[in-house]
Amino acid sequence: MTDFLLENENARKLVKTLGLPIPVPEKLARAKGPYEERPLDDKKVLVCGVGELQSVLAQSLTKAGAYPLVIGTHESALEPFVGPGEAWARAPELVAPGEAPDGARVDAIVFDGTGLETPEDLHQLYAFIHPWIRRLNRSGRVVVIGRPAADAKKPTHAATRAGLEGFTRSLAKEIGGNGSIANSVFVQKGAEARLDAVLRFLLSPRSAFISCQPFHVTNLAQGDQAPDTHVLGGKVALVTGAARGIGEATAELLAAEGAHVVCLDRPADDAPCSQVAQRIGGSTLLVDITDPDAPDRIAAELKERFGGVDVVVHNAGVTRDKTLGRMQPDAWDMAVDINLGAVIRITDRLLRDDVLRPGGRIICLSSVSGIAGNRGQTNYSAGKAGIVGFVKALAAKVGKKGVTVNAIAPGFIETRLTNAMPVAIREVARRMSAVGQGGTPEDVGQAITFLATPGAVGLSGETVRVCGGALVGA
Amino acid sequence: MAKKKNGWGKKQRAVIVGGVRTPFVKAFGKYLKLDSIDLGDIAVRSLLERTDISHQEIDSIVWGGVILPSHAPNIAREIALDLRLPASVEGMTCTRACASGLQAVTLAAAAIERGEADVVIAGGSDSTSNAPLNLPQKAVHALAPLAFGKAATPGDYLGVLAQMMPITDILPKMPKIAERTTGEVMGESAESMAQRNEISREAQDQFAARSHHRAAEAIASGRFDSEVTAVETPEGWVHADNIVRGDTSVEKLAKLRPVFAKDGTVTAGNASPLTDGAAAVLLMSEEKARALGYKPLAAFRSWSYVAVDPADQLLIGPAIAMPKALDGAKMALKDIDLVDMHEAFAAQVLSVTKALASKGFAEVRLGKNKAVGEVDEDNFNIYGGSLSIGHPFGATGARMVTTVANELANSGRETALLGICAAGGLGAAAVLEAVR
Repeated sequence: MTDFLLENENARKLVKTLGLPIPVPEKLARAKGPYEERPLDDKKVLVCGVGELQSVLAQSLTKAGAYPLVIGTHESALEPFVGPGEAWARAPELVAPGEAPDGARVDAIVFDGTGLETPEDLHQLYAFIHPWIRRLNRSGRVVVIGRPAADAKKPTHAATRAGLEGFTRSLAKEIGGNGSIANSVFVQKGAEARLDAVLRFLLSPRSAFISCQPFHVTNLAQGDQAPDTHVLGGKVALVTGAARGIGEATAELLAAEGAHVVCLDRPADDAPCSQVAQRIGGSTLLVDITDPDAPDRIAAELKERFGGVDVVVHNAGVTRDKTLGRMQPDAWDMAVDINLGAVIRITDRLLRDDVLRPGGRIICLSSVSGIAGNRGQTNYSAGKAGIVGFVKALAAKVGKKGVTVNAIAPGFIETRLTNAMPVAIREVARRMSAVGQGGTPEDVGQAITFLATPGAVGLSGETVRVCGGALVGA
Repeated sequence: MAKKKNGWGKKQRAVIVGGVRTPFVKAFGKYLKLDSIDLGDIAVRSLLERTDISHQEIDSIVWGGVILPSHAPNIAREIALDLRLPASVEGMTCTRACASGLQAVTLAAAAIERGEADVVIAGGSDSTSNAPLNLPQKAVHALAPLAFGKAATPGDYLGVLAQMMPITDILPKMPKIAERTTGEVMGESAESMAQRNEISREAQDQFAARSHHRAAEAIASGRFDSEVTAVETPEGWVHADNIVRGDTSVEKLAKLRPVFAKDGTVTAGNASPLTDGAAAVLLMSEEKARALGYKPLAAFRSWSYVAVDPADQLLIGPAIAMPKALDGAKMALKDIDLVDMHEAFAAQVLSVTKALASKGFAEVRLGKNKAVGEVDEDNFNIYGGSLSIGHPFGATGARMVTTVANELANSGRETALLGICAAGGLGAAAVLEAVR
């Protein structure tokens, strides 16, 4: 699980000195420890654009500890930022449009594009961001905010809104080399208050390996005020496949936010699963999720021992790779059942019996190769792409209960599985992402944990790729 | 002698009857030989003499301190024993960083209001000069098994020596006022608050100069005479505060170099100095005070203690505590005749007053739709404050209560608001009213 270009200083130096045509990836800044009150402490964030979100952004950024740099010609541009700036002692700074001042650098750029309506308006993206993009610090962040194209009244508006996503995806590929990421956020009218938690996540190091992604903030699920720290205090979380890899990392991160984590894995994995549970003060549940009585057992156990569950992470998965022509039927059945069938059966049971409590969070694991297609994985991709459809449809049904349903699609993650790949293929796969490296199980765990928080109530029905902006997939 | 009828559940008003303090002097100076118990003894003895209270009437002593003597941390009880008060005078010592003195006084008021007690002495003292220099834990852990454990072989001694390298790791460290969680020295926090709240060097120096001028005037006019008692030390008598510089000026202060950052604004001139001293206040139930023939000076209408994240703005707490105390008293800042704020740093005081005047701060941090208000210079720290008078951590709250209570009793002002910032991101505040 070692990327020599990241971990071996000599290799990094050698490649740089010799000027080899290999891009040396930037070490990504990553979060340590649980959620903080001020995830953006002392960061400089350029706020620009044309839109209605200035005061939402002002509140959110200053509270999170950031200093806003506001582009404008007159002091009046600072107006929405003055009050929140005084409240948190983060005075905004006015910068003139056009060339950035000498030596000025920023840690993040937030573009408010909610006011853009015509293709000509898209020029604002260029006008505001072009002078600053090369002033973005390492592990920097770009967030482009707009209104959802689907809600547009006129096709022109829809086109403009959709344009923001393409811009952001391309920009992400350009800034990945210095460890920076870019994502777009489309916020429904009336859901502006739900931006806060999304921004705190996307601008923080917790989103290190998420790039090129669109996020849709909606009012689909009901929800109230959410805590900024100890975000899962008092919650019970179920993680399937918790014995190792992404499941293990996720269980640890959920526990660090205060959740009691029920670590589920196959009876054969008793030892590693129990070890994880013990380390994080959680519980162990040994069930083969493909057993016909698995939904019953899981539901009964959660109800009896914990009175229900708040967070369900369907992480358990399996590959049985063969080209379709060579594939045996049981390989097909197994991959589709574990990756999709069992997920649906268990979820249905938890919902039917009200084991999942109001305000619950369901997070399913999809996969970038599932979305993009991969030779030898017809079975796996059928299952993982099925997840995308499942979360979208279910999200619409359960929003009234305050439940959100989302999927995470990991790209190239440094795990036992990928470490077993042939060296050449592994090297290529790693460098295919915008940030030129693989992610870690913690990167995926951070995304899952974020979707599990009460603050992520604005996101439901989404499939979020944690892929560092991989070339493949959509 | 235990003499108390059981007063539990009796609702009574607590009033301040009097207060006395020692002169406040620079640490490692004239009080070098007096520890915080000695200083407490002196303040309380003087309070007993000046108020002429019968020792039999006293129920308890509540004391505040920050650097507590490790051999006898319950200073309150030591004072009672040193002064040979009746054995029944119980004592407790509280610590809430720089708000410890106010904490002691409000604990006493609460005990009286609950009917737990009728007559309580409250106050605080600190002697930075006598802060124990602790051996680093590393040295203790290495040496303790040899000193207190089983018999050791020569090899064990060598092992211990090896553990104690490098030698700088085991030398006693000077005490410093650093946050345990952030490691930040308080001056650094003040420096960052000055930057973040855009408090200029000039504004800080102006505030500091004013503090000195006002304190010097108060001393010259005899305003503190009834509140300050002379102290006898082995080297002679100390009659007056020795930190106040009546002859300082903004120009002089401007010459000082910043201490905590190269291009910083916080200097020795606009920060409160390490100080030794003690202050004590006598509180009673109003009924008791009248029965014993005392004229009550003032009473508490409310108080409040709050906390903010120490890693953010360490000393902004009063900007939240003061409005909360006002709410508790069902009053607004405009109803207040006198504001007295602990001056840890000029930058901190000005950050707090700026926040109080900010609508944005009120909306976001206090959930109010308008600013708490501008603090009127003419009614604010009218006799100076910790910058000029000094700041023995545990004593400051009781000093402020004494000065403000006397002011309310004698000036025709009716109401006062106190504010104190403290390490750990704590904020304290209280509203006092005159008792006529």
